[in-house]
Amino acid sequence: MSAGDLGAAALRAALFLSLWGTGAAIYAAWRRDARVLASARVAAGFAFGLVVIAALSMMFALATHDFSILYVAENNARETPLFYSIIGLWAALEGSILLWTAILAGATAFIAFRGTLAIPRLATTALAVMFAMLTFFLLLITTPAADPFARLAVAPENGNGPNALLQTHPLMPLPPPLLYLGYVLTSVPFAYAIASLILGEGGDRWLVATRRFALISWALLGVGIVAGAWWSYAVLGWGGYWAWDPVENAAIMPWLTSTAYLHSVMVEEKRSLLRSWNLALVVATFALTILGTFLTRSGVVNSVHSFSLSAIGPILLGYLVAILVLSIGLLLWRSARLRDAGPIGTPLSREAIFLFQNVLFMAATLTVLLGTLYPLVAEAISGAQLSIGGPYFDRVEIPVALALLFLMGIGPQLPWHGASRATLERQFTAPIVAAAFGALAALITGTTALPAVLTYALGAFVLATVVQEFARGVRARRTLHGEGGVAAFANLFRRSGRRYGGYVVHIGIVLVALAVATSQARTVDAERTLAPGDSLDVAGYTIRLEAIRPVSEPQRDSIVADLAISGNGASEHLRPALVQYPNSAAAVGSPGIGAGLRDDLYTILAAYDQRTFSWATIRTRVIPGVSWLWLGGAVVGIGAIIAALPAPRRRVVRMPVAEVAVSAK
Amino acid sequence: MNRRVLIAIAVLALAGALAFAARPHETTADERVDQITTELRCPVCQGLSVKDSTSETARQMRDLVAQRVREAKTNAEIEAEFRAAYGDWIFLSPPLASWTGLVWLVPVAALAAGLALVTGRLRSGGVPQPSAPTTTEVAALRERVAREEAAEG
Repeated sequence: MSAGDLGAAALRAALFLSLWGTGAAIYAAWRRDARVLASARVAAGFAFGLVVIAALSMMFALATHDFSILYVAENNARETPLFYSIIGLWAALEGSILLWTAILAGATAFIAFRGTLAIPRLATTALAVMFAMLTFFLLLITTPAADPFARLAVAPENGNGPNALLQTHPLMPLPPPLLYLGYVLTSVPFAYAIASLILGEGGDRWLVATRRFALISWALLGVGIVAGAWWSYAVLGWGGYWAWDPVENAAIMPWLTSTAYLHSVMVEEKRSLLRSWNLALVVATFALTILGTFLTRSGVVNSVHSFSLSAIGPILLGYLVAILVLSIGLLLWRSARLRDAGPIGTPLSREAIFLFQNVLFMAATLTVLLGTLYPLVAEAISGAQLSIGGPYFDRVEIPVALALLFLMGIGPQLPWHGASRATLERQFTAPIVAAAFGALAALITGTTALPAVLTYALGAFVLATVVQEFARGVRARRTLHGEGGVAAFANLFRRSGRRYGGYVVHIGIVLVALAVATSQARTVDAERTLAPGDSLDVAGYTIRLEAIRPVSEPQRDSIVADLAISGNGASEHLRPALVQYPNSAAAVGSPGIGAGLRDDLYTILAAYDQRTFSWATIRTRVIPGVSWLWLGGAVVGIGAIIAALPAPRRRVVRMPVAEVAVSAK
Repeated sequence: MNRRVLIAIAVLALAGALAFAARPHETTADERVDQITTELRCPVCQGLSVKDSTSETARQMRDLVAQRVREAKTNAEIEAEFRAAYGDWIFLSPPLASWTGLVWLVPVAALAAGLALVTGRLRSGGVPQPSAPTTTEVAALRERVAREEAAEG
């Protein structure tokens, strides 16, 4: 039995188990039948195991170059190195859906075993929803539309090899699994939300049960987006990290709605408001992950990241429509039970800021959606060709992002219900002074464009509020618990991880904002055709072309420019190249990047003398502050980990009413 | 120092810095080339601008824009030349004037509607005075503490 047969059989068995599990979970939730629930649990566990076996079989088939499988023949070649063979699992459509299904099966098993213990009925209903979605994906990959194990009648001598762009950099394997994990984990809050609506539970139990999932999926999406930006930067070779490309847009939309949800959920937890709004946000986040997959995996839009045309487009679209109809129908049906009691708070209360923030995030999401879809719709309706790209998104999204940065500084500093004038003065003196210093720092360091100066001012504003919060927290712990400074600081994270981890995330976001503002405002381009020995000066760097030479490897041929870099304290060699893969018509540019905290020197081999190697056109870009972007992404990830870690168990202390009033304030 | 004086000085400094950043100033020829090429779509790329693209076509278009700037053509004249050759498709930011104005109108309208909706639901008037919680609130609080501890355990 070959690996391909094993994988295909495993998927079919998993489909059978998933169908059983769907029915069993529905029955168990309806009749509260523990034995049937136990069988659904077993089905979930085995289905997960079987899909993992299928994924491993595919990796094995790729590693052993089994070209009798169509997917392997199309995405692998004998010359492909082992590492790129194995990660070929997510190098194209069918394999990606297999990986996606494996993650979904894992989440289903997790709910089956852990979730159903805490709140049996809600979690069992959610399990039924998870099983239904798993069944859909298993059906998808066992039909010809996206069958990863489809066979070829005659195995070719050699395969086509992976997409050229996907094997030029060891970073390539990182972003897709992160994003798929983030995408798929949004289905857990979705399943619980749907379960809560079906059962007609007005409370927030679904939300408490899934907030860690929501946080983790949000963090994975965020880190995946930054990792994807890093991949574009290091691989695509145009000297940027974000192009408002459809795949990038598809990833950022659920991240935006998910960010809105993580904040508005606090309003529901503290004030029991916004119930239907939070449900709607969870549904929107999940629907946007499916929409993104549809847009980028069906050939509807062209993108540097997307795969070839496929028949799964209409199926995914049907799935999306079904999800939307079901969710909106349930929301309308249950709307009477979800009504909020009373008004929200004064305009200067924390909940009001969260709401304004939500409006801004929704506007940002709508803009991305509109900008991505409008050209398609316009062309379908009137045949008019229309471009919507970076300048459009920048014009709309930069003001929104600046307003969000402002609210990020204000929100955590305001009390619930409303703030008095004295509170405002006490909370905002230091941040406003910091904002003034931030703006001056921008001007002094030569960042003089207005949006960038505003970003620096608001960034300093937010950082000051975060420092102020930490200082207060440490002081409070020292007074109340008599802890030393360091212990108090560490205990803020251990005891109130959600809050202080959130502040760490805010620091990361400020770093990202500063990186984007700085790099957008102060990037310098230069391009010159050089003979070996000539040099080019740009922004304090001297770039000397030492040689231009061909390099041959088994899986590719390259033309490499050897550049010696000096100036600005740098002394290094960069090797931008043009790489020719046998399965790709055009050569792929591979940039040479000298990274630094102050700026990156990005070099590209644009053209060269193909006969005598006597000249090369070198394009260079000096991009200040771009490293802070990767740093900011890492800080966001660390903050999310702190926020997601469970707090140590506290001893339950019953307090008299008066003390509850004080501590609840 | 008095807080209010400090805030006033900081706000003045901030306003000064922003006013300096927003001051009208002459753009150099290179800046103008960058401004124009940022808005132009590289015709042979996937959504990249002429400024960013490394393609030969984009390089020629950059050279053409630089030449027009040297010929003292205005930005509008240069843009009109590209519109005549390629149509509106060549601009990465669709024009506000024609029916593509919708892509500008919808986000602004959504933002305005959302803000109006939220503002309408906010409580007006002064800050509510903190009052002792009612017994039902305390009961709800207790239940929540017990539940969250159970959930976290």
